[in-house]
Amino acid sequence: MLDPSTVGRIARATALGIAAFGIAIGMSADAAQAFDETQYPDWSGQWHRPRGVGIAWDQTKPLGRGQQAPLTPEYQALFEASLADQAKGGQGEDARFTCIPPGMPRIMTIIWPAEFVILPKITYVNFENHMPRRIYTDGRSFPTNEEPSFAGYSIGQWLDTDGDGRYDTLAAETRNLKGPRTFETTGLPLHKDNQTVVKERIALDKSNPDILINEITTIDNALTRPWTVIKKYRRERNFIWFENICAEGNAHVAIGKENYMLSADGLLMPARKNQAPPDLRYFQQSRQ
Amino acid sequence: MLDRNAVTFAAMVLALGATISDAWVTRALAWDDGLYPDLKGQWRVVGGPMRFDPGKPWGPGQEAPLTTEYQAIFEKNLKAQAAGGQGTTPTYTCLSPGMPRVTNGYGQIEFVVTPGTTHILVQHIHDNRRIFTDGRDWSAAMEPSFLGYSIGKWLDTDGVGRYDTLEVETRHFKGPRAFDSSGIPLHEDNQTIVKERIYLDKDDRDVLRNEVTVIDNALTRPWTVLKRYRREPDARPFWREVNCAENNNHVEIGKENYMLSADGLLMPTRKDQAPPDLRYFAQSKP
Repeated sequence: MLDPSTVGRIARATALGIAAFGIAIGMSADAAQAFDETQYPDWSGQWHRPRGVGIAWDQTKPLGRGQQAPLTPEYQALFEASLADQAKGGQGEDARFTCIPPGMPRIMTIIWPAEFVILPKITYVNFENHMPRRIYTDGRSFPTNEEPSFAGYSIGQWLDTDGDGRYDTLAAETRNLKGPRTFETTGLPLHKDNQTVVKERIALDKSNPDILINEITTIDNALTRPWTVIKKYRRERNFIWFENICAEGNAHVAIGKENYMLSADGLLMPARKNQAPPDLRYFQQSRQ
Repeated sequence: MLDRNAVTFAAMVLALGATISDAWVTRALAWDDGLYPDLKGQWRVVGGPMRFDPGKPWGPGQEAPLTTEYQAIFEKNLKAQAAGGQGTTPTYTCLSPGMPRVTNGYGQIEFVVTPGTTHILVQHIHDNRRIFTDGRDWSAAMEPSFLGYSIGKWLDTDGVGRYDTLEVETRHFKGPRAFDSSGIPLHEDNQTIVKERIYLDKDDRDVLRNEVTVIDNALTRPWTVLKRYRREPDARPFWREVNCAENNNHVEIGKENYMLSADGLLMPTRKDQAPPDLRYFAQSKP
């Protein structure tokens, strides 16, 4: 049995030769490119945050205020209130404790590993603990009547930025989002109008093919200007995938607008000092 | 599987010298796609997602071949559900339904076929399966999961030089899992083995068939059902983002399941259910 990587190299090399031959004999360019995976960069494997990099939105800055997010005064105030609530044991603007998805752009922090599956008309970003992103590269436009989602609707375009005849960069734009969403766990907010536009340029680091660079620009009405950060992801070539289910063992309990916790013995307990217990008026025996 | 691709590919390259045509060249470039059946598009289950065997009624009507012990567990579960509980169905807390229940098709389904892996994406939280078709063997160090670990093999059953059937075996489970929403249980030892044969209907290429066989110690014999999925006609289908936790009105506290009312207050799910113990609240006795 041939080593799979050898087979892949032979197949790719031969495919290129046949492609050239096909073009030489007048075959249509569409057919020659339709399924040629060698046209695309090799992003196979499992992608992680680089070692030592935390979950801050801008990987190069500390969480929270240290991000120096260009928030409008209104949203800066909302952010400060979120931080104050979190300091008292609350969740602030961060709604992830209920296991709703982080959505875009936060999902691209890749807290848990991700995978890129590249096909000619679509690139999937598969996550261990969320539904996948679909980045359409088939030339479509944004739909006008589609239900918004946390992940939004993504359209991409492959670019050959260095003109070597191979795509190297995926430029993607994401719209049609819903909320609540935040940039990070500190509750750094996005605007409640959900008119966010996220632009990404994803490409391998030219000096290290095991580093993927995602330049993410967020345009949002909570911001005074577009906010661009560089995310780096580290490739793991020998990997296993874990099942990661937020709801499994989640000790947070949301009742109405209050967040409580479950104790180790399975009883409800306050999440912050002097928190009132839930209203039990619907229980006949609520006053024992 | 790749070695077979290489053989087929080599045959194509050799054939190129004798029979050159656009079709052949296209085929040669399509070595990772043209050899596989066209499973593109969005698939929805035929017959509704609530039953494991879509050809039979819900619950007892499924006639699951349960052992005496597990039949008793199932009956007890049905009584609990009738009283407002959840019985042996744990998914109200937004756990993954796991295998084999994910084959019931409760979410929109997409098959993404690549040479080494077939991804089955299910629009529900994160119930996405990877079926490895790269020739790997079972790993002894695998962490069990609700969806298990799936190894597949593409078959060319009618010998035309194209794969038509994906044969899959799934092991390494954890629980709790049930076959469907009626709570038909799988064994607590989680030694389940699920075998599948997935192929397009020869008379209707927009129908996908999945022969699912479950071998489990809660059953007296392997249980085989046939599931069918229909391809949506829209070439650019809408993929609904389904987040179980979003607006989930179930609240689990300890071993009790409560509900949230429309005004966000806790309420019982069954008659005379006791309220949660509030001993950890300083003001729990107003």
